Amino acid sequence: MRGFWVTVQMGLRMYLRDRGAVFWGIVFPLILMTLIGLAFGRTGSPTFAVTVVDQSGGLLGRGVLQGLRQVPLLRVEEAADIDAALARLRAGRLTLVIVVPAASSTDPIRAYFDQARVTDSQMALMILERFVAEANLRLAGAPQALRLQATGVAGRIEVRFFDFLLPGILAMTVMQTGLSGVTWVVATYRQRLILKRILATPAHPAAFLGGLVGRYTLTSLFQMAVIMLVAVLAFHARIAGSLLTLGALIVLGTLVFVGMGFAISTVAKSPEAANLLGSAISFPMMFLAGTFWPKDFMPKAMQPVIGLLPLTPLVDVMRGVATRGDPLTSYLPGLAYLAAWGAVSLLVAARRFKWE
Amino acid sequence: MAIVEVKDLFKRYGDVVAVDHIEFMVAPGEVFGILGPNGAGKTTTLEIIEGLRHPDGGRVVVDGIDVQRSPREVRSRIGMQLQQAGFFDRLTVDETLQFFSAFHRRALPVADVIHRLQLDEKRRARVDTLSGGQQQRLSVAVALINDPRIIFLDEPTTGLDPQARRALWEVITSFRREGRTVILTTHYMEEAQHLCDRVAIMDHGRIVAHDSPRGLIRAHAPGTTVSVSPGGGQVQFDGLPGVRTVQQANGEIILITSDPLRTVQALLELNRSGQVNFHQLRVEEATLEDVFLHLTGRRLRE
Repeated sequence: MRGFWVTVQMGLRMYLRDRGAVFWGIVFPLILMTLIGLAFGRTGSPTFAVTVVDQSGGLLGRGVLQGLRQVPLLRVEEAADIDAALARLRAGRLTLVIVVPAASSTDPIRAYFDQARVTDSQMALMILERFVAEANLRLAGAPQALRLQATGVAGRIEVRFFDFLLPGILAMTVMQTGLSGVTWVVATYRQRLILKRILATPAHPAAFLGGLVGRYTLTSLFQMAVIMLVAVLAFHARIAGSLLTLGALIVLGTLVFVGMGFAISTVAKSPEAANLLGSAISFPMMFLAGTFWPKDFMPKAMQPVIGLLPLTPLVDVMRGVATRGDPLTSYLPGLAYLAAWGAVSLLVAARRFKWE
Repeated sequence: MAIVEVKDLFKRYGDVVAVDHIEFMVAPGEVFGILGPNGAGKTTTLEIIEGLRHPDGGRVVVDGIDVQRSPREVRSRIGMQLQQAGFFDRLTVDETLQFFSAFHRRALPVADVIHRLQLDEKRRARVDTLSGGQQQRLSVAVALINDPRIIFLDEPTTGLDPQARRALWEVITSFRREGRTVILTTHYMEEAQHLCDRVAIMDHGRIVAHDSPRGLIRAHAPGTTVSVSPGGGQVQFDGLPGVRTVQQANGEIILITSDPLRTVQALLELNRSGQVNFHQLRVEEATLEDVFLHLTGRRLRE
């Protein structure tokens, strides 16, 4: 047992002295969060700047303007000159220019978007389409029930992008610690015969390996605390669920991905190869698993693959807890799937583990 | 009573026989050396005794305990320094010893061990800032941390400068004074000659001889060595006075003689009469190197 604690204790000291580990565990996730948050999120509440050019001069234009102003994600302005508005769109100052045609014409409502900014444009267009569809329903005298549902959709959009992003970043950090950190560390210990040196003591090797897991669990929790603190203080992120539950999920994620890191390190011949293999697995996963943006944004053909990734259930459950305060019981299948990955990885690691 | 008993030990890696049915015993309190060139099977032998490797045949008993049956029990009674084993770069000397001390049931105070190995000044220095000699002393410190009766040192002075080597010799001699048994491997014959009560000479997985350094020299290389590098001429060296054996290695003729004075006189005579020219003439007391040469026909380091 003393071997376990000394491994945790010395491991934490080594972590704090390792600029690389602190960079990848704290600074890198913070940079990613900031960049992605600023690129997609913009911290203010109205996310997309929309200019309406009203050529109808009447009821339709008023209606559209009023309606759009009620959509929480849009910052709506009115302009008279379409060319000036398009120039601002080209300059990247607007997301959409909406032209309401003259009442006498049969033209559709036109929306101009910047092709260079695909994601923003698509999101804004999605909102606009939803708005038009709603308006059509209302004009056609649709029943009350449909209006109620529309209000529900607006409520979900209220989760700001930053709140959405934060749990993804946390899950990604846990994965990176396991797949890039542990693979490198364990393979280095093996190559430099440190593992052999420890095996040469009378203690059971599990004391050391358990100590490593303990060390990574604590560093993951520490990293989570720092990232969350920055997110809350600097970006006003809101966390709906309990911190304790999130902490428990971080611990589970660490066990799973550290286990995978152990397993990967048994396959690779050198620390470099182990690290490369870990990154080759973690990088695609980072972009596919819905870490930074909703999974639905990925092509349909990829969805089955995305569902199989071990990071996906971790992101889902952490996001559910963080943004909506969902209970863990709503994620039991995902949690079980994640635990299965952990169990299989640890089994592979235990069977194949080499000390030199 | 032997404290270490090795019986009919055998180990192969694929087609290569690393340890070929060797046997020896080590008495309590002695410094026992395994001397041989690289690849002779020294490390494999040591690691089997330490319980780090499984032999394909034979038996090892350490302090009355069968190593294969209870390797962990054996490891609690021995201290070992592993060849090339590294430590955590980001820990200090003090922390490294604290770390390993926690992996033993019984341990000496870390400060005492640091003092014994003359690492006081480096106590708070990180391992990656230590010199080769200091790292090696740290490695020996780790072997001492559990106050073992038996200490295994695998090539403890390889790669060290002469001063650092001397410093480690002092430490090893002090282990002997404390009544600890030391088993070490080396490919430096001076080291074996200086430190060891008994030496086993190992080559190609076999022990070709073992005895005290003096006993080995007496039995396998009696007399004095005279080495010449001949520049030309054909001479029957074995006909010279006093010469017992003649060997050739690295372009040198090595004569072992029981009467060095007369042998050298005869050689000088031959030189003067122009029958043979030589660039070099060396006269040395026989060493373990000569024993090795005599037994294997090769030098230890080539």
